[in-house]
Amino acid sequence: MTGLLLLPAVILLVMAVVVGARWPRLWLGFTLAGAGAALGAALTVFPSGGGWEWQSKFLLGGETVHLRLDGVSAVFMALAAVVGGAGAVYARGYWPDHGHPATAPRGRVWWSALVLSMLLVLTVSNGLHFLMAWEAFAISGYFLLTLDPRKPAVRAAGWLYLATSHAGTVCLFAFFTLLAARTGGWDLGPLRADASCAPLFWLALAGFGMKAGFFPLHIWLPSAHANAPSHVSAIMSGVAIKMGVYGIVRFSGWLPVPPAAGWVVIGLGALSALLGIAFALAQNDFKRLLAYCSVENIGIILIGLGAALLGREHGDAGWGRLALAGALLHVWNHGAFKTLLFFGAGSVLHATGTREMSRLGGLWRRMPWTAGLFALGSVAVAGLPPLNGFVSELLIYLGLFDAVAGRQASAWAAMPAVIVLAMSGALALAAFAKAGAIIFLGAARTKPAAAAHECDGWMRGPMLALAGICLVLGLAPVLLWPALASAAAAWHPAWAGAMSPEPLATLGWVNLGLAATLAAAGSWLWRKVRANNLRRAPTWDCGYGVPSAKMQYTSGSFAGLAAGWFGWVLRPVRTLRRVRGHFPAHALRLERVPETVLERVVFPAGGYVMEVSTAVRRLQHGRLSAYILYVVAGLAALGVLVFMESLP
Amino acid sequence: MKSLLDLILRLDCWLLLAPLLPGIINKVKAWVAGRRGPPVLQLYYDLARLWKKSVVMSTLASPAFVILPAVTWVALLGAAMLLPLGPLGAGLSFRGDALLMLYLLALGRFATAWAAMETGSAFEGMGTVREVSYAVLAEAAMIAAVLSLSVQSGSLSLATMLTPSLGASAVLLAAGLFIVLLAENCRVPFDDPNTHLELTMIHEAMVLDHSGPPLAAILHGASMKLLLFAVLLVQAVLPMQHLQPLAAAGLLAGGVLGVTVAVGLVESLLARFAFRRVPLLLTAAFLLCLFALLVAWKGGVP
Repeated sequence: MTGLLLLPAVILLVMAVVVGARWPRLWLGFTLAGAGAALGAALTVFPSGGGWEWQSKFLLGGETVHLRLDGVSAVFMALAAVVGGAGAVYARGYWPDHGHPATAPRGRVWWSALVLSMLLVLTVSNGLHFLMAWEAFAISGYFLLTLDPRKPAVRAAGWLYLATSHAGTVCLFAFFTLLAARTGGWDLGPLRADASCAPLFWLALAGFGMKAGFFPLHIWLPSAHANAPSHVSAIMSGVAIKMGVYGIVRFSGWLPVPPAAGWVVIGLGALSALLGIAFALAQNDFKRLLAYCSVENIGIILIGLGAALLGREHGDAGWGRLALAGALLHVWNHGAFKTLLFFGAGSVLHATGTREMSRLGGLWRRMPWTAGLFALGSVAVAGLPPLNGFVSELLIYLGLFDAVAGRQASAWAAMPAVIVLAMSGALALAAFAKAGAIIFLGAARTKPAAAAHECDGWMRGPMLALAGICLVLGLAPVLLWPALASAAAAWHPAWAGAMSPEPLATLGWVNLGLAATLAAAGSWLWRKVRANNLRRAPTWDCGYGVPSAKMQYTSGSFAGLAAGWFGWVLRPVRTLRRVRGHFPAHALRLERVPETVLERVVFPAGGYVMEVSTAVRRLQHGRLSAYILYVVAGLAALGVLVFMESLP
Repeated sequence: MKSLLDLILRLDCWLLLAPLLPGIINKVKAWVAGRRGPPVLQLYYDLARLWKKSVVMSTLASPAFVILPAVTWVALLGAAMLLPLGPLGAGLSFRGDALLMLYLLALGRFATAWAAMETGSAFEGMGTVREVSYAVLAEAAMIAAVLSLSVQSGSLSLATMLTPSLGASAVLLAAGLFIVLLAENCRVPFDDPNTHLELTMIHEAMVLDHSGPPLAAILHGASMKLLLFAVLLVQAVLPMQHLQPLAAAGLLAGGVLGVTVAVGLVESLLARFAFRRVPLLLTAAFLLCLFALLVAWKGGVP
C-alpha cells in the first residue's frame, strides 16, 4: 500500500517539474496530487508500525536502489507533503505569473524539485543515493531562495546558504564514506550493535546540524529566511531545516552513539532555545524574527532528542520515549505554525512592501484575516494552551521532569533544560506579543501601512488550513499518538508499544474545554458590552488630546528591556545623536542587532584564513628557477628522510 | 451530583472570595498609616458598578480589545481551578497540571498584552514591555519552584506535589514564591497599584483604556490571580494534608490571610524600587527557588 502511494507521488512530482514552467494549473494539480499521495504513504506507515522496504535490482551509480519508509521518516514525510502542498497553493497568489513573469515559472519548477528531493532524502536507504538526494535538495533550495537575484541582499543570502550548506555536505561525505568503510557497503540500515561506528555521530551532528541551524551553526538561516520569497521561507523553516533534524534523529537511531552524545545534544538544544529567542526578540525585521524563532524551536526539538538519547543510555527509561515523542510532535507543530506565520508575514510583505516592523502598524483594519491568523500562530508558537505548541512542550517537560525524578546523573542535564525551556517560552511570548502588536495593532506608522490590502483567496486558503491543523493538533493530541509511538519504536525498538501516556488524553479534553469556555466567555462579554452601549474615543494618552502614530512603541523600544539583559551576546550596534544647543537640528537613536556570530566570529576567522592563504600564495610566483629549487629541495628532503629511515 | 456540588463550591471560593484580598490589603495599609481607609468590600461595589457601565473604546482598537479581557479571566480561572484547595483537593488532576497552570497564567499575560497594544498608547506599550520582560525572570523562578516541589514529592501533579517538607527548603521556597507573588501581581516594590503617574506603572498602565464590564473582568481576574498565588504559597509551605478537613480549611484561610496582610505590610513599609533594580530582586527570587531545589535534591529520596 505504501509503495503504491509513493510511486505515484514521485511520478506526479516529476511531472510537476516537467510541466511547471508552462502550465501553472496543471503544475498545481500535479503538485497537490503528489503531496497528497506522499501524505497518504506516510499515514499508511503509522498504524502498522512495521515500515515499508523495497529493494530493487536497478543500479544507480553502481549501487542497487534501496528504499525504506519507517515511522521516523514518515513523520517528516507527512510534514513535507502538507507544507509542500500548502505552499504551492500560496505561491499562486503570492508569486503570480503576472507579477513575476520571469521568475514565477522557475519558482514552480524548483518548488516541485525541492519537495521531490526531500521525499527522496527521506526514503533512500543507501549512503551514496542519500548524498545525491541531499545535494539535489540543497541545490533546489538555493535556486528557490534566489528567485529574485536582482537584489544584492538575495544574492548574498544565497551565496551564504550555498557555502554553509556545502560545508555541511563535506561533513556528510566524510560521515557516509567512513560509515561505508566500516560496514563494507553503502547500504544503510540499523547497525545498533556496531560500537565502532559511534564516533561518527559527531560528523553527522555537524553535517546535519548545519542544515538544522542550531546555535551557533545557524549563521545562514536568518538572511536566507528573510530574503527568500515568503512561501520559500515557509518551506525552508517549516520543512527544510527539519531535514537536518531528520538526519540527526535517523542516524542516532540507527547507529550507536558516544556516551556524551545526549549531553551535547541537550546542551546545544538549550543554547539554541535561549539565544535563538533572545535574538528573535531583538530583531526589527519580522521575517528575521521568525527565522531566529526557528533557531529556538530547533533548540526545543534538540532538548527533547537529547533527553531521549540520555534515556536510552540510562537503561531505556520511559521518560526518554516521552521526550522523543515530544520532540517529534514539535517537528510537526513547528512546521504547522511557522509555515502559517511565514505565510502571514508574506501577506504583510505583499501588501506593504516592507519587512521593517516599525514602518507598519494598524494593519488589522485592512487585513483582518491575516491579523487574526497571525495572532493564532503567535499563541501557538508561544506554546500557550489550548493550541498545539503547548502539547509538544508538555511532553518534553514530562520527559525531563521524570528524568529529574529518576535521580540519576541525567537529572543534572534535565533540570537546567527545564528552566531554559520555561524562560525561552516566556521570551517567545514577549517576541510574538511584539511582532503581532507592532505589525497589526495601533495606528499605521507610514503611508504604505495605511494603504495595505488583504491577501487573496489563494493565500488565505492555505493559511486557514494550517490554522486548522494547529487547532486540531492542540485539541485532539491523542489522535497523533499512534504516529508518535510508531516513530519512537522505529527509533529504538525497546520502546515499542502503543500505550498512550495518560496526560495526552486528559490534555485534549482540557484544551477542548478551555477553547469552548474561551469562546463562550468572549462572546458573552462582547454581547454584554454591546448591550451596555459602546462608544469610541481617542486613546487615553495621559490626557494628551492628539496622539500621533509616532508616539507608539516601536519594535526596538519593545525589545529594549529584555534584549538589554542579553546584550553580552546580542552585541547591539548603537548610533546616538543627542539633542544639543538651544535649537537642535535633529536627534537620532538607532539600534541594530547584527548577525553577531557571523560578523563577530565567522567573518574575522575567514579573514584570518584569507590572510594566511595570501601569505602562502607568495610561494607561487611563476619563476621557473625558483620552482626548480623547490623540486631539488623537496627531493633532498625526501632523500634525507629515506636515509634516516634506513639507519638502525 | 457530588462532583457538581464540588465544582460549585470551588467556583464560589475562587469567584466570590477573591475580591476580598485587595480590600484586606488596603485596610492593612490604611491601618498602618492611621487612616480609616475604604471598606473591605470596596472591590465588590466597584465590580458591580463597572458591570453596569457603558464602554469607551479607543478609535484604534479592534473588537478584540473588549474580548481579550474575557480570555485573560478564563485563563486565570482555569489556572485557579487546577490548584487544590486544602480539604477540597484539586478539581481536575493529571500529570503535568502544574505546567498547565503556569502556561495558563502565560496565556492570560499574552491576552492582556495584546489588548494593551491595541490602543497604540505609549503608556500601554511601556506597561506591556515591563510585564512581558519581567515575566521571563518570574517564569524562571516559578519553574524552579515547581521543580523543587516535584523533586520533594516525586510527583508532577499539583494535588500530590504540594506536600511541604518543613525545613530550609520550605523557608527558601516561601521567600522566593512571595517575591514572585509581589512581582506577578504588580504590588510594591515592583509596581505601585495606587500611583497616579502612568510612567511608573506596570499592570495598571496596561489597562488604562479599559472601562465598563471588560475592566470589571480585568479587576476580578487580578484579584483571582492574587488569591491563586497566595493559595499556592500557603500550600507549598504549610503542611495540612494530615489535618481534619475543617482544620485544614481554617489553616489555609489563615495562611492566605497572613500572606495578604504581609503584602499590605510590605506596601506600607517599602517604597517602590527603581525599575533597574527589579530584575535583581527577581533574580534573587529565582536563586531562592533554585536553592530550595538543591536542598530538596539533597533531602533524599521520598
